[in-house]
This record gives sequence, structure tokens and C-alpha cells, in this order.
Amino acid sequence: MLEEVGNMMLLTGRTLVSAVRPPYPYGSEFVGQFLFAMRLCWFPLLVSTIAFGYEAPGLQAANFLVLFGALDRLGGFFVLASIREFAPFVDAIVLAGVAGTAITADLGARKIREELDALEVLGVDPIKNLVVPRFLALMLLTGLFDIYALIFGVFGGILATVVNHAPLGPFFATFFNNAETTDLWGSVVKTTLFGAIIAIVCCYKGMTASGGAEGVGRAVNQAVVIAFLGIFAFNYAFTQTLLATHPDITTIIK
Amino acid sequence: MRDDAHSQRGDVKRTDGKAVSRVSVVDESPPRPGPPEGAADEEYRWHSYAVHPSGRPDAVRFVDTYKSFGRSHVLRGLNMALPEGMVSMILGPSGTGKSVCIKHMVGLLYPDSGDVLVHGRSVPDMPDDELFEMRKKFGLLFQDGALFGSMNLFDNVAFPLRQHTEKGDDEIEEIVMRRLNEVGLGDSRTRMPNELSGGMRKRAGFARALVLEPDILLFDEPDSGLDPVRTALLGELILEIHREMIEEAKRKQREHLPTFCVVTHDIMSARRVADYINVLWKGRIVEAGPAEEMLGSENPFIRQFLSGESQGPLTMD
Repeated sequence: MLEEVGNMMLLTGRTLVSAVRPPYPYGSEFVGQFLFAMRLCWFPLLVSTIAFGYEAPGLQAANFLVLFGALDRLGGFFVLASIREFAPFVDAIVLAGVAGTAITADLGARKIREELDALEVLGVDPIKNLVVPRFLALMLLTGLFDIYALIFGVFGGILATVVNHAPLGPFFATFFNNAETTDLWGSVVKTTLFGAIIAIVCCYKGMTASGGAEGVGRAVNQAVVIAFLGIFAFNYAFTQTLLATHPDITTIIK
Repeated sequence: MRDDAHSQRGDVKRTDGKAVSRVSVVDESPPRPGPPEGAADEEYRWHSYAVHPSGRPDAVRFVDTYKSFGRSHVLRGLNMALPEGMVSMILGPSGTGKSVCIKHMVGLLYPDSGDVLVHGRSVPDMPDDELFEMRKKFGLLFQDGALFGSMNLFDNVAFPLRQHTEKGDDEIEEIVMRRLNEVGLGDSRTRMPNELSGGMRKRAGFARALVLEPDILLFDEPDSGLDPVRTALLGELILEIHREMIEEAKRKQREHLPTFCVVTHDIMSARRVADYINVLWKGRIVEAGPAEEMLGSENPFIRQFLSGESQGPLTMD
């Protein structure tokens, strides 16, 4: 297990070096992977963010806030819950589950068919030509999809407010009172790094798959589990650091 | 590392007391190497380690190579050579590390200890850039062809040319079609790999391995999954192309004559195709030499293996 984590770190290092060192043959693969992952993810992400935003921080928190007659605070709560945590989480989970697994399955199948070995023998570096474009594409896409997830997550909150027959004015008022630019860039940076974790884990697991079709299945399964764990662990460290370095965002404003 | 291996084996030799003194002045033949660490001498009793000279320089040479994957020791002090300009075979029962040998030659795997030399240069010691350069000397035919699933046949075969040369589209087209026609796939240029049969994929992989005119061509079990007739035809194709390439190399006065190496456990193709045979078992060469001498070998293991009989030293265990 430790060895695998070490190998993934090593792969991260080699990917970063390969990405910046010329030549740059990965342009078209980058565009291809970006569009491929976007096509796969946009709809699942739309459904999950609205549903999740509506249910968890939306309905449940609204039920709780109604007790105090403070439903207007739902907007402020959405800054804390949705922008900082839930939207990035749902974004990362959908990206890992949909695009990440596709990457592992694709690279795993190529590994099993010895295509990756063939590439290397033909003098093509699989890291530069396969890992780097996936790494960059997934980072960019997860970061961009975060904004998409924020919008639809907050839309879930709006739905919850409407369902409670409350006016939307107070929702937006408390929302914008609490929202800081730190929240936005923190969220986007965090998800961009989630994308990096997903890409490295999924590429690593695909490229080291062994044992035929069954091995590819196993690799996909492990990739999802490790990517989730990596995201959870990194999120903990990131949130702690962000709160510690930006104490102003811990103050809740009326 | 290598010295360690030597001394370990030296110790084993001394403890079992059978070894000849290393400083003997009477016995001129090299002392018989002891078994690898953790193995009984009994397991290696059929290894005569005899190497009949080929009279050619070595294109590839393994020197005391050890390689383990976890607890399975695959190469256990392998000393093996592939002579230049010949069709060599690495023959051995299933699971003896034949494919592992190929991956060592092209630097896809590195030995735990020992060395692999290609035209006299050590592969494990090469920096990455040199290794990528060195790999252009090789053509490698993988077991299932290893064609790129996202490209059609033509693009697959053209791939190495587009990657490594500055040739124009017309020239690439000409080379690719010549190779595809040679392997009998000229009509299938636009087909995708998953539309091809196993034998066709292998032939396409062969064409792709040929386009850069490599000095060393490696075939990883070209006969696996093929019927006997197709295997025989593929064997003939290998011989024919080797002959052509030798003539071309002589005409162009190239530095190295093309070397082919076929890894297989199929004795029939070995008999038909091989100029030189290495018999590999338990991670070491049992005996090696030009095909005629090997087919007439007195070693019971070699005789059994090359005639494919059930009676003899090689059993199911």
C-alpha cells in the first residue's frame, strides 16, 4: 500500500516534469480527453448537484432552520455547505466515478493488450503522451465543473426555499453577505487539485493493471476507492489550511 | 550486485563440495556454475551449460542476469547470447521467463543483478534518452500484435515512421504498403484491429515492427493461438523476410546484420525456422548452439524437449 502511494507520488513528479519539458506532443490528446470527459460528465453532474443541493443542505437544513424561523439563513448556509464542501465533493466524485474509471479502463485494456509496451518500444513515452494530457484535462475540467456544480448546487437551495413557500430575496441576501472571493477561489483551487489526484490515481491503476480482463476490473475498482480516499484526505488538509490561513471566512455574517 | 551473486554461488559450490577448484591449471574448461541460491544442484543436473560456438559476434548478450517478481525467481543467473545475422530461438517450457528475456533486451524491465548487452552496450546502464534511441534498433512483435485499437491498420503500421522520421506522406505510404503487401494485408489497410483475426493482427504487428528496418527483431510467441498451417506460413514469412533483410543490409553495407529472435515453446517452428537455439529452463540456459548441433544433442533433456516426447527428465512438475 505504502509502495503504491510512493509510486503514485513518483508518477506525479514525472508527469509534472514531462508536462513542462519540451517537446509538447500532447495537445490533440489533451483536447480529445477534455471533450471526452466533458461529454461523459455534464449530465450526471447536473443531476447529482441539483439533487444533492436540494436534499442535503436544502431540504434538511431548511427543516432545521424553520424551527427558528430563520429560513432566510439558508443562503448563508449554502456558502458554507455547498460552495466550500458539497459542490466540490459531488464534482470530484462524479469526475472520479465517470471520467476516472473510463481512463483506468481504457489504459488498463491497453496495458493488457500490450499496447503500452508497444508504445514504449516504438520510442513513445506513455507518461508524456498519455498521462500528461489526461492529467491536465482532468485538472482543468474538474476546476471548471466546480463552477458548474456551484451554480446547480445553489439552484438546489433555491428549489428548497421555493418548496418552503419562502421568498428568495432573503436567501440571496444572506448568501451574498457571507460569500467571499476566498470561498470561490478556494473551491476552484481545491477541485483542480482533486482533478490532479483523480488523474494520477486512475492513470496509475490503469497502467499497472495485470491479469487479463479480470485485472482491468480490479484496477477500476481500486482506482475509484483510492481516488475517493485521496480526495477525502486531501480535502481535510485543504479545508483546515484554508480556514487557518483565512480566519475571516469563519465569521458568519447576518 | 553481480559480485554478490558470484560469491553467493561460490559459497554454494564450496558447501556441496562438487565444484572444481577455480585456480585449476589442469582443467581448461570453465568450472560448472553452482545452482542459484536456494535451489538444489539436483534441479539443474540437466543444465550442461554447453554453448556450441556460432562463429558470429553477439547482437544481444545476457550476463549472469537475475530477475525475480516477488517470490517467483524468473531469471536465475542467465547467460545467453543471440548471434548477429541469425534467426535465433529461445525455446523453453511454458512459464520459464522467455517473454521476460525480451522485455529485458528492450529495457522494459531491468535485471535485479547482472547485465544485458545490446551490440556491446549495457541496457540497464543507459540513461533514458539513450534508451529511447536504442529502442529504434528493435522491432518487437508482441503476442497479440499489440496494435493500437484507436487506429486503422495503415496508421498502425505508419506510426513508427511518423513518430521517428521526417518522411513525407507519399514515402510513408509507399513503405507501409510494401510491408503490408509483404505480410499479405495490402487489402485490409483501412480495417480496424478489432475487425482482424488473431493471425492477421500478428502479421500486422510484424509489418509495424519492420517499417523502421530494425537491426534486431524480436518475436514473442508468434505461434500462440495460431493453427499449425498458419504457424508454418508465418515461419516461412519470417525466414523469407530475414533473407531479404540480410541481402539489403549487405547491399547497404550496414554495420550490423539483422538479427531475429523468436521466443516460443513450439518445437516444430524451431525445427523449421531456427539457425541457432537457446534452450531455457528454470531461468538458465540448458544448452545453446546452432540448430543442427542442438538437434543432434546427447543431453536427454534437450532430446526430449526437441522431440516433444512425454518420456524423459521433463515432467509435469
